[in-house]
Amino acid sequence: MAPSRDGAMTTKNSEAQGRGVVAKHQNAARDRVLVCESVSRWFGGLQALKEVDLVIARGEILGLVGPNGSGKTTLVNSITGFYPPQQGRILFEGQEIHRLKPHQIAQRGIARTFQNVALFKGMSVLDNILLGRHNFMRPSVLGSLFYWWWAQKEEVRQRAKVEEIIDLLQLESVRDEMVEYIPLGLQKRVELARALASEPRFLVLDEPMAGMNQEEKEYMVRFILDAHEALGLTILLIEHHMDVVTAICDRLVVLNNGVKIKEGTPHETINDPAVVAAYIGKVNHAA
Amino acid sequence: MFYRLSGIHHTRYESASQLWPIPADRWQVYALLALALAAPLLVSDLYLTSYLLPWLIMTSAALSLTLLMGIAGQLHFGFAAVMAIGAYTSIHLVRFGLPFELALLGAGLMAALIGGVFGAAALRVKGLYLVMATLAMQYLVDWIIVNVPAISGGAQATLQTPRTTFLFLPLHKDEVRYYVALLWVVLVTLLILNIKRTSFGRALVAVRDKDFAAAVIGINIVRYKLMAFFTSSFLGGVTGAVLAYCFYQAVTPEQFSFNVSIQIVAMVLVGGLGSVLGAYLGAAFVLLVPIVLTNAVAYLAGLGLLSASTNLLAHIPLMVYGGLIIGFLLFEPLGLAKIYDNLRKYFLVWPFRHARS
Repeated sequence: MAPSRDGAMTTKNSEAQGRGVVAKHQNAARDRVLVCESVSRWFGGLQALKEVDLVIARGEILGLVGPNGSGKTTLVNSITGFYPPQQGRILFEGQEIHRLKPHQIAQRGIARTFQNVALFKGMSVLDNILLGRHNFMRPSVLGSLFYWWWAQKEEVRQRAKVEEIIDLLQLESVRDEMVEYIPLGLQKRVELARALASEPRFLVLDEPMAGMNQEEKEYMVRFILDAHEALGLTILLIEHHMDVVTAICDRLVVLNNGVKIKEGTPHETINDPAVVAAYIGKVNHAA
Repeated sequence: MFYRLSGIHHTRYESASQLWPIPADRWQVYALLALALAAPLLVSDLYLTSYLLPWLIMTSAALSLTLLMGIAGQLHFGFAAVMAIGAYTSIHLVRFGLPFELALLGAGLMAALIGGVFGAAALRVKGLYLVMATLAMQYLVDWIIVNVPAISGGAQATLQTPRTTFLFLPLHKDEVRYYVALLWVVLVTLLILNIKRTSFGRALVAVRDKDFAAAVIGINIVRYKLMAFFTSSFLGGVTGAVLAYCFYQAVTPEQFSFNVSIQIVAMVLVGGLGSVLGAYLGAAFVLLVPIVLTNAVAYLAGLGLLSASTNLLAHIPLMVYGGLIIGFLLFEPLGLAKIYDNLRKYFLVWPFRHARS
């Protein structure tokens, strides 16, 4: 099932409600790709997210930082439907998504990568990226049975699309390798490729550079910026490497103990006393 | 040595995603198919109907199950019950007056419906608990068949398959029965091979390996698990009907008992989970090795090389057979298909050990 494109959505809504006002409202809603309204999430007695508000504008790269256990991944899991928030709302392009299942959210045009690489082992790099095209394919048993008259056309068409992404992320040399046999840096890149293959409008990257050396990090930053530019993406980036975050993010949001403690441009944010305190303890007591 | 990889460069996506991209492999398959087609001329009727025929049919069963257990990763220990549903449905449909071809379709659909209902349990449970759910299916179906006379014709009853035709050919002839089984196994083989290289198969594997990662690329896990159960049960149902008509020419509940379920699981595991070739090898191993071993032991005893009590002689083949299964799985947990694959890859690049296929 292909995700509904902007055009289709606008027409549907404006028919329901009357045109001029709604169109303006829709534009405003579309500039705010993702809106979290006082999102809260508990795990038993532990409150992992406390009324977190978040707005991400179209085309923005937003950095989400904070010490370990501050709720960054929980927030991402709430957005992508794995841990739906128990309180609050999450809107994607003006529509509520916090009651949807993960696969429905993916079909709306949100893609993500995982902190621990979540590729399908035993499959080639090519097949992994092809899986990212799932939303654009119509898998069926009969289609497979009559492959030569039915599925082949679709497979070849999607393969051509995948080759474009392989080209963008320079994965040609490992195309036919099994994913478990390539180095971690490349695996993370394949996961990015799989996410990009689904043609998302909003991409969530959960520590795409964890465990990488300087060179691999630089490559990854380059690919993220390339994809951002070439595909017109809005990106939410979780990352611990402050050099990366300050270099490529438009804005930063800092979480600590499930609370948003600061939001702003990278430089003013990382120099904020509250943020420094969250990371390394109170400055006053350090001396 | 056996293969020449040099000079094979695929320049189109179509040719790169062929079933057998290496010409030598392709010719090997054509040769085997030709042999299979010529088999009625090459082997005696006894071999045709009591070795080749059951092997082909049980291969179809193993292929149907490997789609579910190997590719989709859902354990099923009641597959004989699925086949029983197909067998009984087809017999009653033909008795009702339907042509055999339609009865096969009906058998598949009935098995798929009932199998799908039990498959719905798979949405909630995994692993050993799924084994329990499918075992429950085995015993429930067995019990219903035995205790509902309208289905089984009464307890202890044997239903003869009615005389019928397949595509205007009389189904009581040995050759026709063989060719029907061959046609079915070829169809199932092509289906599984094609599933493995298309989006449907990839989605199943994704759900099997990492369901959260599958969800994040838009795969509806519930739907694909159900589709796997439905498809696999459909194939199993038709295979059950083919087994009833082409091999036994009768049905009794014992033909589809729990033992048979375990045998099919053993075929899938010994052959190699999710492997098409493995289903062929596994079925051959489970069906034929006990016969070969029994004959070998009897032969040795006849020569006087093996002096033991008749009781022990009867059990030696079983012991060796069990040992072989354990041995093969210890040696290569991915089954006979993997052993073949290793050999093939070795010779693919021989004598250059470090070149890759």
